[in-house]
Amino acid sequence: MIRKLFCWLCSLVMLSCKNNTSQLIIKGSDTEVNLMVLLAEAYWQQHPKWQVSVSGGGSGVGIVALLNGRADIANSSRPMNAKEQALFQRYGVACDTFIFAEDAIAIIAHATNPIDSLTVEQLQAIFSGQLRNWQSLNGNHLKINLYGRPNNSGTHAWLQKKLGISFCKHVLEMNGNAQIVEAIKLDQSGLGYVSAGYVVKNYQQTGEGFKILRIAAKGQAACSPLDKEAVEQQKYYLLRPLYQYIRRESAQKAQPFIEFIKSPAGEEILLANGYFLVRNDSAK
Amino acid sequence: MQLAFQASGFFCIAVLGGILLMLLWNSIAFFTDVPLFFFLSGTVWQPENQQYGILSLLVSTLLVTIGAMAMAIPIGIGTALYLAEYALPVLRNWLKPAVEMLAAIPSVVIGFIGIVVINPAIMAIAKTSNGLNALNGSVLLATMALPTIITVAEDAIRAVPQAFREASYGLGASKWATLQKIVVPAAYPGMIAAIMLGIGRAIGETMTVLMATGNAIAFPKGMLSSVRTITANIAIEMGEVPFFSTHYYGLFATALVLFIISFAVNFAAEKVTAHIRKFQI
Repeated sequence: MIRKLFCWLCSLVMLSCKNNTSQLIIKGSDTEVNLMVLLAEAYWQQHPKWQVSVSGGGSGVGIVALLNGRADIANSSRPMNAKEQALFQRYGVACDTFIFAEDAIAIIAHATNPIDSLTVEQLQAIFSGQLRNWQSLNGNHLKINLYGRPNNSGTHAWLQKKLGISFCKHVLEMNGNAQIVEAIKLDQSGLGYVSAGYVVKNYQQTGEGFKILRIAAKGQAACSPLDKEAVEQQKYYLLRPLYQYIRRESAQKAQPFIEFIKSPAGEEILLANGYFLVRNDSAK
Repeated sequence: MQLAFQASGFFCIAVLGGILLMLLWNSIAFFTDVPLFFFLSGTVWQPENQQYGILSLLVSTLLVTIGAMAMAIPIGIGTALYLAEYALPVLRNWLKPAVEMLAAIPSVVIGFIGIVVINPAIMAIAKTSNGLNALNGSVLLATMALPTIITVAEDAIRAVPQAFREASYGLGASKWATLQKIVVPAAYPGMIAAIMLGIGRAIGETMTVLMATGNAIAFPKGMLSSVRTITANIAIEMGEVPFFSTHYYGLFATALVLFIISFAVNFAAEKVTAHIRKFQI
């Protein structure tokens, strides 16, 4: 009996190994994981022989998995840093970069906050801790409570770099976009950053206890991440590319999936989830 | 068969030794990069700026734990005294399993309650704009430490020989006087052990505090500041730290500090429990 079972198990293991040739493993950014699952499902319906497995863990986790050969594609919400590039060189692993969409970072505040827009300079002062009171911004003598993501988040790293500051020590670090939104809804003096894609998909629009602020880059009019036209013209300041790193050995396996993301069906999924398409001239 | 039991016993010790060795090994690697003095006296934990000071994490951990104990000790010991001395057997048979059920609630669920219930409650009562702070964590950890404290303390109180009480009543002492002058002093070491185990439970808890305390790395100013404990810091950063970097070794060094604290607390608890056994005739 046991021997029979053992044979069964062995053959199962062997079968699953055999299947590996048509399996595509995607790992990385938690921001992108929901989107990637939707894309993978749609892709699977078109190409049923492909088994696409998607998992999160964070941008860095995906990049390390790519390095170790445990993933074919790494999703990342930030570019590879110098240390990671050095590791790829040292171990002789080649990979290609594909920017498949753009995501806007939305700055959100409580619905009763009189302020509607902030300049980039104000954001820098607030998040670096120089400006800790709402008074000079909206007249309320209240401490500014900041909400953000922990430092294993690509969003955290990206925003810090984009603003050219080091986040002040008083930023509360929450486990994900949902917690930030819920905290802001309760906190009259809260200010936080979340992925615009997340807000659009789950709340449709503002007016449910929190609002999305418009952001003004130097010498430009303030614009909202919900304003599709402005975002597409690259007028919104906090716009970040979402990357996919593809292990070169898996390039052939990954190619049809990449083509699918670029196809109209793939683009439709991206847009429906609050992400933006990459314009050729915006490829950074 | 005896050999098998012996082997499993040695295996447990080997695992403990292995963990300790790994912690030490990685910590030593860290202390070759960052001097011990800076590690213990620095208040800023910002690995991206090469600042590895454990002080604010350590103070946060202690703050949350002390806050939790300030709530859990009076309630826990009071409940234990009630269950052991006053409660009718029928009631006690219901209450004790109910209290023990508290320990069965997963820490994620307690953390979730911290976000959706305690957070707005603190905001309303303390008139602050943010309820994700040390106080929130303390309330949750107190809840989690209660079953441990109540169970162990109640056992200690019930272990006081009936003859002690009868002798006291025989001398004309009231129930309250007996409790105060005879039972509590006799059960004292057991109660201390209960509290120590409760502290051990609170200090090592990760998920709950990670969810409820806000995780700001600033040095805490009081119970209403958002704090980041050592456990939460390890949980947040371990996921994405580049392996074998100073930061990676640094997380092991903070883990070693945590290990030393909980080891000391458990060791002290063990000492006092050994003391009770001497007490019983």
